[in-house]
Amino acid sequence: MSVVPMTSTPIEIEPPVSLWRDAWHRLRRNRLAVFGLAVAVILAFTALFGPYLTPYDFLSQDLNSRNLAPSLSHLFGTDDLGRDVFSRVIYGTRTAFLVAIVVTFIAVLIGVTLGALAGFFGGWLDRIVMWLTDMTMSIPNLLLVVVINASLKSPISMWMESRYLATLNPFYRETIWVDFLLVFGSMALISWPPYARLVRAQVLSIRSRPYITAAQALGLTNRIILMRYVVPNALGPLIVAVSAGLGTAMVLESAFSFLGVGVNPPTPSWGNMISDGLRVWQHYPHLLAAPAAVLGLASVAFSFLGDGLNDALNPRGAK
Amino acid sequence: MMMANDIRPEPTPKTRERLLDVKGLTIEIETRNGPATIVDGIDLHVDKGETLGIVGESGCGKSLTMLSMMRLLPNKIRVTKGEANFAGRDLQKMSNSDLRKVRGGEVGFIFQDPMTSLNPVMRIGQQLAEPLIYHRGMSKAEARKRSGELLKLVGIPGAEDRLDAYPHELSGGMRQRVMIAIGLACNPQLLIADEPTTALDVTIQAQIVDLVKDLRDKLGMSVVWITHDLALIAGLVDRINVLYAGTVVEDAPVDALFANPSHPYTQGLLASIPKLTDERSTRLSSIGGTPPEPGRRPTGCPFAPRCPLAESICHERVPSLEGVSQGGAHRVACFVAQRKLEAA
Ligand SMILES: Nc1ncnc2c1ncn2[C@@H]1O[C@H](COP(=O)(O)OP(=O)(O)OP(=O)(O)O)[C@@H](O)[C@H]1O
Ligand code: SF4
Ligand SMILES: [Mg+2]
Repeated sequence: MSVVPMTSTPIEIEPPVSLWRDAWHRLRRNRLAVFGLAVAVILAFTALFGPYLTPYDFLSQDLNSRNLAPSLSHLFGTDDLGRDVFSRVIYGTRTAFLVAIVVTFIAVLIGVTLGALAGFFGGWLDRIVMWLTDMTMSIPNLLLVVVINASLKSPISMWMESRYLATLNPFYRETIWVDFLLVFGSMALISWPPYARLVRAQVLSIRSRPYITAAQALGLTNRIILMRYVVPNALGPLIVAVSAGLGTAMVLESAFSFLGVGVNPPTPSWGNMISDGLRVWQHYPHLLAAPAAVLGLASVAFSFLGDGLNDALNPRGAK
Repeated sequence: MMMANDIRPEPTPKTRERLLDVKGLTIEIETRNGPATIVDGIDLHVDKGETLGIVGESGCGKSLTMLSMMRLLPNKIRVTKGEANFAGRDLQKMSNSDLRKVRGGEVGFIFQDPMTSLNPVMRIGQQLAEPLIYHRGMSKAEARKRSGELLKLVGIPGAEDRLDAYPHELSGGMRQRVMIAIGLACNPQLLIADEPTTALDVTIQAQIVDLVKDLRDKLGMSVVWITHDLALIAGLVDRINVLYAGTVVEDAPVDALFANPSHPYTQGLLASIPKLTDERSTRLSSIGGTPPEPGRRPTGCPFAPRCPLAESICHERVPSLEGVSQGGAHRVACFVAQRKLEAA
């Protein structure tokens, strides 16, 4: 008769650490993630305080100092209109963050709502949501954005113009809002399906976990179970997806602006700066290099951060 | 004579009150080939203050029977027939909000797997407090205080400090104790413990059994204890039901069952006990074959394909659970056993 010694079930006496603090400790040990986080924070800071950081107005042209190479007075040089590239990159950061945050917010809102409903209730609701998701994902992104731009831009602009003539409210003169509206709208429209899929899969898998049955066996209501058992457990993967999604949205914004269907000049965007820089890169490489490098840095940083969070928020895998 | 047992005699002279009375509960699962029966018209009962042990091979429907009573079945599995009366009310027909009051409040559950039955992102203290706040209307502070007492009750060292721990910070044994504490939180009248010790080593298993025994005597509740391991619960339970393929094949007071196991399946179970202590296997080495899969039940006695004593009648008719001794308290669903015991 073999008796397993009692020591095989030790009583652990380490101090209780919260799951999030635990995750933070793990994140800090991951160098790439720390790099990603640092870059993301710096970029966010730049975006937030851009106007106080730019040495020049991003619009002010100085025709006497066109296409200057980087120097102390113009860190990234100047462009063909004599505008300070450093200031424009900073404003591009603002554009990128604004677009990324708003688009990701809308996409997450749509995706989480549809995904959670589909996963929780199943049945025909699930089929409709999944059909919508597949439909949206099967349309080439660029095509959709071009179509939206082509079909909506001029009607909205004309409506704005007519509102301006009728009310003389200067708000209706700001065509930049049309740009942003279309960029936000069309990008959110193509960005929500991955969130919906992720949340649906999460909810489906969490719904059948034993701790949900255990919570039901305690007599807790569906609302409490959804809010305190299902959602918090689905949050980790969602945070990871959002972090990676921010980077993707920035790249997407740049891509659209590059192709002329995103944010239009003179509003600075990394994408339209790259597009401008590309035409003259043999002569003035800094005009291409500066925005391209920052875009690359941002994209890499958010992707590292997403991966790092993925590992950090998965305590069972790490322990 | 075999048919003269439609009326169940009361087991003991003491007036006993039924707390739980399950009648003809049938559970089906939806499969690609249509519905398949998992539990076939099971009858179970537990009296006030009584401890019932349920034993049977893996997959015989022990967990599903308990879950179905409380309407906790997973998708695609549902109850098609029968009733489950708790304190005189049919849980199957009760409104959802009434049922929620029974769940956790009057019937406590301890689940099979302590590793996955606790919410990984909620502190132990909160998980304990949740039913207290919901069922007992306690304030957060009261619930926390009571949670600390509960952890002490189930023998967790440094109970109060453990309230802020997350499940992954506790060992398996500690988690199982937390599960027991949660099951007991609201002083339920009935505690359903579904193999609460499978994940633990032998000494801890014995500790948990003693703990539940203590608490039962202290709190005066009824207990249903599900297990593979007959030897483990011998000292804990009053009565044992042996389950095979979703039916009760033998129902007996614990001493009678050990002294005089009557169903061939029970005999096989008992014969395999010495081996259990060696390698803690849950296989029934002394009985060949495997239980029928859902949807492929034999027409006669469900055990007939594996039974060493099977006769021709066994393949044609289903034996019913009938009293053979102990004034009808020892009942068995086997033609051969019934004949033998009546002759004796
Ligand atoms: N979620 C599910 N989906 C499909 N089949 C299931 C599910 N849960 C249980 N079953 C089937 O129902 C039958 C009874 O399962 P149940 O969990 O009640 O067995 P059990 O007696 O508790 O076994 P164990 O001792 O392994 O816990 C098994 O054949 C099992 O395969
Ligand atoms: S009824 Fe027949 S087959 Fe069933 S257990 Fe008894 S002897 Fe075996
Ligand atoms: Mg089970």
